[in-house]
Amino acid sequence: MILDAHGHVGTWPDFLIPDPTAGGLVAAMDRIGVTAMGISHLLAVGPDAGRGNRLALEIAERHPGRFGVWQVYNPHHRTPLSLDGVWGVKLHPDVHQCRLDDPRYDPVWELGLPVLSHGQTDSPWSDPEQFATVAARHPDVPILMGHTGLWPSGFARAARLVAGHPNVFLEVCGSKSTGRWIARLASLAGAERVVFGSDACFLDLRIGYGRVALAPLAPADRALIQGGNLARILGPRLP
Amino acid sequence: MPKLIVDAHRLAGPVPFDDLPVDPRPDLDRLGIARALVTHTLSLYSDAEAGNDALFALGDPRLVPVPVVVPGVPGACAPATPDAVRAWGVRMVRLCPERHRFDLTGPVALRWLAALGAGAAPGPAVAVDLDETSTAQLRTLAERLPGLRILVLNPGYRRLRALAELMAEAPGVRVETGTVNTQGGVEWLAERFGAERLVFGTGAPVADDCGPRFLLDHLGLTPRETDLIAAGSLERLLGGRP
Repeated sequence: MILDAHGHVGTWPDFLIPDPTAGGLVAAMDRIGVTAMGISHLLAVGPDAGRGNRLALEIAERHPGRFGVWQVYNPHHRTPLSLDGVWGVKLHPDVHQCRLDDPRYDPVWELGLPVLSHGQTDSPWSDPEQFATVAARHPDVPILMGHTGLWPSGFARAARLVAGHPNVFLEVCGSKSTGRWIARLASLAGAERVVFGSDACFLDLRIGYGRVALAPLAPADRALIQGGNLARILGPRLP
Repeated sequence: MPKLIVDAHRLAGPVPFDDLPVDPRPDLDRLGIARALVTHTLSLYSDAEAGNDALFALGDPRLVPVPVVVPGVPGACAPATPDAVRAWGVRMVRLCPERHRFDLTGPVALRWLAALGAGAAPGPAVAVDLDETSTAQLRTLAERLPGLRILVLNPGYRRLRALAELMAEAPGVRVETGTVNTQGGVEWLAERFGAERLVFGTGAPVADDCGPRFLLDHLGLTPRETDLIAAGSLERLLGGRP
């Protein structure tokens, strides 16, 4: 089973996404055998989390079993959150310009759902060190560090910083990631701490999954990274 | 699965910021890539001429040399003259205007590039990383030297609009696919400009080779179009099988 922890639907202002649709994602998932993808709507990451979250839930309803929803929490708008029918909560400290360790995220941690947050090495908003801080405060909340810090120069540091926090998982999508780095992260952190994500439709699902599929990994490690770990994290939330 | 896969953008040698394989051949074997066009890292991260010497010393027909050229006035260039470039007999050279601090569309570079194409045999194609220049500069270069065959390396996924404008205005421009990494981006370019304008290349081992290689097997294009991207477009660009 292949599970994609990090997906999106919708357009983004910085550049052209040729196929930003849920239908396009399902076609790509079918082509390469991805069972399900966790999505947040890019409108929700941007200016309107409430409406974007509703759109994501509608998409998940239209494609049963194919999409889980990461409901976006905007700390400035205090977005209403749901406990049911979602995979968890998506945070984007850089877009929202609110540090991951800011108390304005307390409603998210109190919910106790899995959290997927953008992570970016050297960012004032989402440096991996902040993941270690919030993981220590909330050891029962599974936290996926999006992009493992984004920049290859920070991957090893990111793995080191959260090594003592078993509730943090390294999610591997990003335009600068490589199959080689995914294999290295499995060695550095343990394959049970590494989770496949693609960032599609922002990025191409096939390129993202191809890094895992063709990375120099042992079959058991690949199985954990491409779905086993996320299935364990989501538990009954996964249909 | 494409019939033949050639990576148009590969590095050999050490890099200063990571511990990466210096020999591309084991990864080529593992990923089913028959050959690669290779630039030596010494040319990028140390000395252009030393890197070119190391590149030519590799001596393996699977690793097709793409030496680095630094156009310039005497004493500031590598190699010494355009004639020395032609004497290499290579089918592609690489230009690094940002790294080597020269003006890609300045009079010296234009004279050098014109001289490379002035002989009886076709001159080499030129490869330029988009991070080393801009689509505007490449469009100017194509306008000034309309016969020049240009391969844009590392176009990325955030500049599709500007890249499309360049491809529309400059028919001699081809684009490497490895970093065209937004959903459906390669198909979007193929539908508008034809698969013969797209060339499989990765920039490995600094950039990723696994994802772009996997994409080749799962493109939503015809087998003919996929074969063009995998190797055929490069063969046309170089005027023969690399």
